[in-house]
Amino acid sequence: MPTGTVFNIQHYSVHDGPGIRTIIFLKGCPLSCRWCSNPESHFPGPEVAFNPDKCIGGECKMCLKMAPTHVSWDADADRPILADHRDAAVVRAGSLCPAKAMSIYGQTMSVEDAVREVEKDESFYSRSGGGVTFSGGEPLMQADFLRAVIKECKHRSIHTAIETTAFAPWEEVREIFADLDYLMVDCKHIDPAKHKAWTGVDNSLVLENLKHIHAEFPDKPIRVRTPVIPGFNDDAVTLSAIAHFVKTELPNAEYELLKYHRFGLNKYSFIGKDYTLERDLELDADRFAAFEALVK
Amino acid sequence: MSTQTMQNCETPDACCHVMSPHEQKLADDMAGRKGYRAGRERIYSILDGVSGVTPKIDVERGKYFTESMKDTEGEMLCLRWAKALAHIAENIDIYIDEHNLLVGRAGAKPGRYGILFPELDGNIYEAALKGLKERTESPFDYSEEDARVMVEEIAPYWQGKTFFEDLTKALPKETYDLTYDQDDPMISTYIVNETASFRSSIQWVHDYEKILKVGFKGVKEEAQAMLDKLDPLSPTDNTEKRPFLEAIIIMADAIVLWAHRYGDKAREMAATTTDASRKEELLAIADRCYRVPEFPATNFRDAVQSQWFTQMFSRIEQKTGTIISNGRMDQYFYPYFKADKDAGILTDEQAMELLECMWVGMAEFVDLYISPTGGAFNEGYAHWEAVTIGGQTPEGLDATNELSYLFLRSKQEFPLNYPDLAARIHSTSPERFVTEVAKTIKEGTGFPKLINDEEVVPLLLSKGAQFEEAYDYAVSGCAECRMPNRDTYTSSCAYVNFASALEMVLYNGKTLHTGDHVLGLETGDPNAFASFDDFMAAYNKQTDNLLKHAFIQQYHIIRLRAEHFATPLGSSMHKLCMANQIDLHQPNIPGGIDLGYFELMGYGTVVDSLAAIKKLVFEDKVLTMQEVIDACKDNFEGHAVARQYMLNAPKYGNNDEYADEIGKAVDKHAVEFTRAYSDELGVQLDLRLVPFTSHVPFGKVVGATPNGRYDSMPLSDGSSPTQGMDVNGPTAILLSNFKSKNYEYRNRAARLLNIKFSPNCVAGDAGTKKLVNFIRTWCDLKLWHVQFNVVNRETLIEAKKHPENYRGLIVRVAGYSAYFCELSPDLQDDLIARTTQETI
Repeated sequence: MPTGTVFNIQHYSVHDGPGIRTIIFLKGCPLSCRWCSNPESHFPGPEVAFNPDKCIGGECKMCLKMAPTHVSWDADADRPILADHRDAAVVRAGSLCPAKAMSIYGQTMSVEDAVREVEKDESFYSRSGGGVTFSGGEPLMQADFLRAVIKECKHRSIHTAIETTAFAPWEEVREIFADLDYLMVDCKHIDPAKHKAWTGVDNSLVLENLKHIHAEFPDKPIRVRTPVIPGFNDDAVTLSAIAHFVKTELPNAEYELLKYHRFGLNKYSFIGKDYTLERDLELDADRFAAFEALVK
Repeated sequence: MSTQTMQNCETPDACCHVMSPHEQKLADDMAGRKGYRAGRERIYSILDGVSGVTPKIDVERGKYFTESMKDTEGEMLCLRWAKALAHIAENIDIYIDEHNLLVGRAGAKPGRYGILFPELDGNIYEAALKGLKERTESPFDYSEEDARVMVEEIAPYWQGKTFFEDLTKALPKETYDLTYDQDDPMISTYIVNETASFRSSIQWVHDYEKILKVGFKGVKEEAQAMLDKLDPLSPTDNTEKRPFLEAIIIMADAIVLWAHRYGDKAREMAATTTDASRKEELLAIADRCYRVPEFPATNFRDAVQSQWFTQMFSRIEQKTGTIISNGRMDQYFYPYFKADKDAGILTDEQAMELLECMWVGMAEFVDLYISPTGGAFNEGYAHWEAVTIGGQTPEGLDATNELSYLFLRSKQEFPLNYPDLAARIHSTSPERFVTEVAKTIKEGTGFPKLINDEEVVPLLLSKGAQFEEAYDYAVSGCAECRMPNRDTYTSSCAYVNFASALEMVLYNGKTLHTGDHVLGLETGDPNAFASFDDFMAAYNKQTDNLLKHAFIQQYHIIRLRAEHFATPLGSSMHKLCMANQIDLHQPNIPGGIDLGYFELMGYGTVVDSLAAIKKLVFEDKVLTMQEVIDACKDNFEGHAVARQYMLNAPKYGNNDEYADEIGKAVDKHAVEFTRAYSDELGVQLDLRLVPFTSHVPFGKVVGATPNGRYDSMPLSDGSSPTQGMDVNGPTAILLSNFKSKNYEYRNRAARLLNIKFSPNCVAGDAGTKKLVNFIRTWCDLKLWHVQFNVVNRETLIEAKKHPENYRGLIVRVAGYSAYFCELSPDLQDDLIARTTQETI
C-alpha cells in the first residue's frame, strides 16, 4: 500500500465542502502561488517550522545539543538559527523540542492511518452531510496514496471531497475524480502568462482538465473558485473572463470568489521563507462585494 | 493548491473580525445608539436602576423569622416554620416600584437586594460583615442600621443553634480537618468542601402547575380534607401528620395574606398617582392580587403573577441552593397563553413584556451568601432560576410550542443574565427549534444551555423513575434535573478536590499548601513506584479516602438537616409529601427517589497531570518522578524545560485516546466507589462534574500540578478540558467527553461542558446550520450538557481593562451567565484562557 506525506489534519472544518468535515492536507505542490497561505505545503518532504515565541531559549537548547552542526545559537535573541529547515538532522532535533516551538510539517501516513483519522469524526458527518476533504499542497501530487484513501473511504460510505488546482496529467488522476463525491477546483487566471508569472506554471493544463471533468462527469457536483488577489486578478475584465469560461465550459458548476487574506503570513518566517507580496496589502470589502455581484 | 484553506490560524485579520450581536449592542451603547431599546422602554427603565449597583442586604426576612422562632421554641419544626412565614407575611414591608407589572418582593429595598437566612449561618454575622463590602467575589452593601439589626437583634438568638454549628460539632476530627480551615471554620479547606451550611436545600423545582390550577385555596382545602380523615385515636396521625397539615394551612393563609397586602398597596398607590395609565395598571394589579395565588389562574397575566408570588414566597421560606428553579415554564404557562391569544386579549409582545418584568425581578433578587465560601462558589451573584423549554411531553412526544419560541425571542432581543434558560434537546427536536436555539446561542450571552434528553431520560429510568416522570423532568440549578413530584432528596452535597488527592500522592499524604500536616493517606514515596499502575493505585487510595470523608459528611448532613429545616410551601407542591404528610426535608419519603451527588473537582487538571506522569516519567523517561515533584514544588522556577514537557504531554479534550483512557479510569473509580457505598446512606449519590465558579477557589489551595499548571491557578472546570489545552477543535472536545464516560454505570449525573466559539466561526446562515449539526451530534453522543460562549477574546481583554464600557457584557461562566465585570480578576482570566474554537 502506498504511503502519503501529510502536513496537517484539521477536524471540524466548515468552509471546505458540505457539512462538518475533516481536512487532510497533503504536502507538496507543483505551483508556487505568491499569495499562498500554506507555504509549508510546497516542499514534498518533511520540514521544520520554528515559532520563536514558543521557544524558551537558553535554559533548553535541546535543538543545539541534538544537531550541533546544523543549528547555531543567536545569543542576542536567545534563539536558535536553523541552517536548513529540511535537513534530516534538523527535523530530528525539531521533533524533540520540549516546548514544541519547532514542529514538523510532513508526517508519513499509511492509508489505514489516514482513514482512521477521518473516521474519528464520523458521528458528525452523518448529521451534517459532511465527510473528508483532501487539500494541500496539491493532493493530486500524491495520486497513488490519494486514490487508495478515497477508495477506502468510499468503501466505508464516507463522503469525499477535494480542493485542487487540477494541475496533473489527466490520465493519472481521472479515476480519482471518478471516485470523489464533490470537487472544488481553483481557476486563478485566464491568461497563461500572468498565471505563470504568479504561480510558476502555465494554466493550460488546468483549463483542459476542467473541460475533461465536465465532459466525463457532467453530473459530479463541482465548485470552481477564484481567489481574488490584489495586483493579480482583482479587475473586472479578468474576473468576468474567468466567470465566462466557467459558465460556458462547466454549465453545472457553482462559481465562487474567495477573498484574499493574510492568515498564513507568519508561517513564511516560521519555515525560513520570504513573503513576496506586499505585507499590508488588503482587499477592500466593498470592492470584493462588487466583484461578487459582477460574476453572479 | 489550497490558496484559501487555512490552518493554524493564529492571527485573524482585522478585516474578518465579526462581532456577536451582543457585542454589537455594547458597541452601540458606547456610541450612544439606543435603538435596540425601542419597544422595551419599561424594562430598560427598571434595568437601568439596577445594573452596576452593588446589591444591598435587606434584613427584614431575617428579623421577622428570628422574632417568630423565638416565640415558638419547643414546638414541632414544621409548625414553627409555617408560623414564621405567617409572621413575615404580616409584617414585611410592601414595596412596589413605579414601572413593574408584576408585584411581590422578598424585601422592601429598591434595586438589587439579598435577604438573610440566620438559621444557616446567623452565628457568623459579626465576623462576616467585616469583609462583605470589600470582598472580591460577590460583595454586598449594607447600612449601619442594617448591620446593627443583624448583629444585635438577629445573631444573638442563633448562637449555638445554627445548622453550621451543629455540623462542625458532629464531624469526626479527620473529616473536620479535611473540611474546614484549622483556625477558622468559616473558611473551607476546599479539599472536601461541604455546601450544606450555606444553603438549606440543593437546587429544586416546585410543581408550579398545581398552584396555577388549584391556587392556595385548593392547597388549603386539600390539607383540611386530609386533617378530617386522620385517625383521631392514632398517636402518629396526631403527632406527625396533624402538625404537618396544620403547617400547610398556616402557610397557605400566609401567602394569600401577603398577596392581599400587595393588592392594598397597589390600590393605595393608584389613588395618589397622577399618571393615568399607571393608575389603570395599578388597579388591575390590585384586583389580580386578590385573585392569585389564592384562586386558580384564569388567564396568562394571572398565571404569571401567581407563579411569581409563589416563587418569591418560596425564596422567603428557605435558601434553596442556587435559588428555586422555574421548571417547565413553556409547558405550564402554555394553556393560559394559548387561550388568551385565541381570545385576542394577549399579543406576543405583551406576553414578552410581562415575562421580562419577571426576568428583571429575578435580577433584582440576589442570592446573598454571607460566608466567603458561599460567595466564592457563586461569583457574579450567580443564581439559577433555570427556565426549561423544549424537551418531551410525559407521553414522549416533542413538547415544543409557540411559547418555547417566545422565550428564545425574548433572550435574543433582551440580553439579561436572568433567568437561566435551558433548552431540552432530544433526537426528534424540530429543526426550527434547534435552529432558533443555535441563533440564540450566536447572540453571545451564553443562552440557552442545552440538556440532553437522550442521556437524562434513560438515567432517570435506571434510578427508578417511570417513563412519564422521566420525560417530564425539569432542568434545575446549574446543569441538574428534577422530577418535581418524584425527586425527594434536598441535602446539599460535597465538592471533592481531586487535584488535592493527586498532590497527596506526590507528597505522601500532604499538600503543598497545608505543609507538614498529613491530611491524606501515606501512600509511600512516589520515587519508589515501579510503574504508572503503582501511581494510579496510590491515587485511587487517596481519592477513596477523600470520598470516604465526603460520605461521612453526607451522613451527618442528612441527619441534621431534618432537625434544622422545614418547608411547608415546598412540601405543599409535592405529591409524595402531601400523600405521606411528611415534610420534604425529612429523609425517607415513601415512593421518592433520592438523587444526590458528589462533585469531582479538577477533572481535566487531574487527567492531564496523570497523563503527563505516565508519558514523561514511566514511558518516555524524559523526566524522573523527583524532577516532576521538584518542578511542582518550585512552581516551575528553574524547571522551564520540564514544564514544557508537561504542557506538551497528551491532554484531555483532544480526542486523544491516551488522555481519554485515563479520564475514563478516573471517572470509573469514582462511580465504583459510590456504587459500593452510597446505598448505605439510603440515597443515590452520583458522580457529577459541575463546579459553579468553585474551580477558582479550589485551585487556590493546590500547588503547581504536573500538567504544567502554576500554583494557585484555577482548576479545569466541570468536564471541560484544561483551559487553553483543547487544540484539536470542538468535535474533539465532544468526543473526549464521550469516550471518558462510563456509560454502563448509572451512578453518574451532570457533566458540565463549556465551549467557546469566536463569533466569526458561527457567522451567517451557514454558521447557524453548522452549529445546529454540532448540537445534533452532541445529542447523538448522549452528552449531558453543553453551553457556549460566543465572544471575541479581544472583547474580554478590553472589558477587563475598561469595565466602565462593558458593564452590560454578559458571559457564560459555569452553568449560568453573569456580568463579566462583576467577576473576580481570577475568574475573568480563567474565561479569557478558555480556548476559542476558530475552526467551526
